[in-house]
Amino acid sequence: MKLPPNVSEADFTAALKEFAAVVGGQWLFTTDDDLYLYRDSYSPMWDEADERTASAAVAPDNADEVVALVKIANRYRIPIYPISTGKNLGYGGAAPACAGSVVLDLKRMNRIVEIDERHGYVVVEPGVSYFDLYNHIQEKGLKLWIDCPSPGWGSVMGNALDGGVGVTLAPYRNHFEAQCGIEVVLPDGRMMRTGMGALPGAKTWQQFRPGFGPRIDGLFKQSNFGVVTKMGFWLMPPPENFTTGVVTIPRFHDLIPLIDIIGRLEQSKIVQGLWMLSSPTTGTRGDAAHGGGAPKIDPAILPVLTDPDGVNMDRLDAAAQAAGLPFWACEFNLYGPKKLIEAQWECICDAVGVIKGARFKLNEIRKLPLPADELKSLFDVGQFGIPSLRTFGLGPMVSYEGEDVVGHIFFSPVIPRTGEAAIEAMEVFAAIARKHKLPYPPLQFPSSIFERAFLFAVGLPVTRSAVVNAKIRDVFRELVVIATARGWGEYRTAPAFYDLIMETYSYNDHALRDFLGTIKEAVDPNGIMSVGRYGIWPRHLRDAGKNGR
Amino acid sequence: MLTRRTLVGAGLAFAASACAGGFGACGSTAQRKPDARPIDALLIDETIETPPQMAAFIESAARTLPVVGLQLDAAAYAKLIGVLGKSRAIVGISSGATLFCLERMAWDHGFRLTQRTDHCAGDACLEDVAAILSGARALAASPLILVRTYRPSRADGMLHAWVMQKSASLPIRQGRREV
Repeated sequence: MKLPPNVSEADFTAALKEFAAVVGGQWLFTTDDDLYLYRDSYSPMWDEADERTASAAVAPDNADEVVALVKIANRYRIPIYPISTGKNLGYGGAAPACAGSVVLDLKRMNRIVEIDERHGYVVVEPGVSYFDLYNHIQEKGLKLWIDCPSPGWGSVMGNALDGGVGVTLAPYRNHFEAQCGIEVVLPDGRMMRTGMGALPGAKTWQQFRPGFGPRIDGLFKQSNFGVVTKMGFWLMPPPENFTTGVVTIPRFHDLIPLIDIIGRLEQSKIVQGLWMLSSPTTGTRGDAAHGGGAPKIDPAILPVLTDPDGVNMDRLDAAAQAAGLPFWACEFNLYGPKKLIEAQWECICDAVGVIKGARFKLNEIRKLPLPADELKSLFDVGQFGIPSLRTFGLGPMVSYEGEDVVGHIFFSPVIPRTGEAAIEAMEVFAAIARKHKLPYPPLQFPSSIFERAFLFAVGLPVTRSAVVNAKIRDVFRELVVIATARGWGEYRTAPAFYDLIMETYSYNDHALRDFLGTIKEAVDPNGIMSVGRYGIWPRHLRDAGKNGR
Repeated sequence: MLTRRTLVGAGLAFAASACAGGFGACGSTAQRKPDARPIDALLIDETIETPPQMAAFIESAARTLPVVGLQLDAAAYAKLIGVLGKSRAIVGISSGATLFCLERMAWDHGFRLTQRTDHCAGDACLEDVAAILSGARALAASPLILVRTYRPSRADGMLHAWVMQKSASLPIRQGRREV
């Protein structure tokens, strides 16, 4: 029997018996076969002594059962680790941050508690996936859209609590920012509601986020101060139309004014859809301006792109000029009434038009929803508010260092939304990729998924080889050092690196971590809740955190 | 009394016979063994190229057995959940990427991957599936299946024939409920 840290076998056995009495014996999982499902499929420590695996799992049906389980856990000081659906692969999956924790599996709590078309919101339990919510809206014929991540099999609530993002309109893309109202079971077993939900019989819980007094919802994001059992989210009305508009600009360093101009358009709320950078030199996205289809890579460009010493941007710039190709393409997703899309596009053209050689193409404005057959043929449908798992079809990483690649972890720094930072990050991370022969595209671009900063996610391969995984962990640490030195912090990470990343947020001798520790002591004195999640540890297990597990 | 299960079993025998008589790739299939556990659905990854024999086999099987085409999208998810809710054993042909997703979704409904073969050619997968459908190959779970890995990829060109069966454990999820 695997035991939680600092818990005797007798206490653990007694606690499990009481857990089973609450949920029913069939919802308590202790066999190896069942606990296998709570391993992180993408763990970079698979089968190593430090892999964080659960000692048991328990699956309550409702919030009252959660309350009862938390009280039992407190009595026996059993660390519990709530998961929603456990599908955040690349960021930990269903595995706990602290080995030996009991996973509190909330999949059975999958009720859509309330959905309101008039005010555009939904209240869900943790087990409701994006697929569930989307299909519910379709079945009911509601005039609502969701914003979903890719892949879309995860929990609506879990994704938001983990800091996840989607791909539609800016106010909805940051999923935690689109939440409105939380119900949470605190570590002492007391139920609390945030915002207007604290008012018994409140009529505006999902309509007025600030509530009265301090706004504390953020304490439950990427943290361990409670078990969130209900959460409200703002949903959007379905846009009438959709199209993409493509801007191309000729020179490498034109990126700097381009990003500044787009930034102003975003800050003015003229650009609200996602926009994506690419380079026609590589034949990737953003090629609609060239008549459709991927442009053929000019024979003069290919050697520059495949140079073993890395892509020299000056040479690539010159080669692109010689081939008559613009260096950059930027594709804007545009939503709304036709006249709004046309007005947005006109504003984009006016603003970007100051860059010499800029060219513009607005594609056909399509009425939504698109026909099912057409949707079926698209690689991804997230931009239409439709969840899918098609991202798994990408699978560019087949092997690394002679080992099968079975998954990935993300190194996910946030960098300034400037052309200068984008260029620097492209160079810095490409050099690391080259150094370690990582699977990496010739050019990788920052993502505009956040509103005011870039995300520069680097996927690192995970294998089933301890030697290769150890190397990948070293590469990850190297990336963190390099990014931190430049003032680039990570927005999210896998449990194996929670403490490493929290360590980088060290302003004023770790004032933030210490403050979170103070809160932890106050609300969870027995240290039972999501131990170690995002580098927040109870006092008696802090050494475990320092030692990396 | 005719139950859904006996109907499916009878249908499978028909499908397997048709396969044996008409399609070279299914030559190894024969009359369904009477004691073989029935398969409740055939799942086909629509993102892979389907060789002509496979298309014919699927068409034949579809006369008697739920055949679910999967695209890893919301519509397919709804179909899959329906199939998992009604089934105890399912068989399929898919890429590693699709199998990876299906396996994890099926876990939530009490299923476990109990057999898997790896091939670069669709015909070989088809032979495996035909053998399973006809009962020529037993459904016994391999104890090593959990420790065997496969690449969750489409890029490697690998196809898998596989079986998932509902385990003794109860499903963790019983379908979405509304308040």
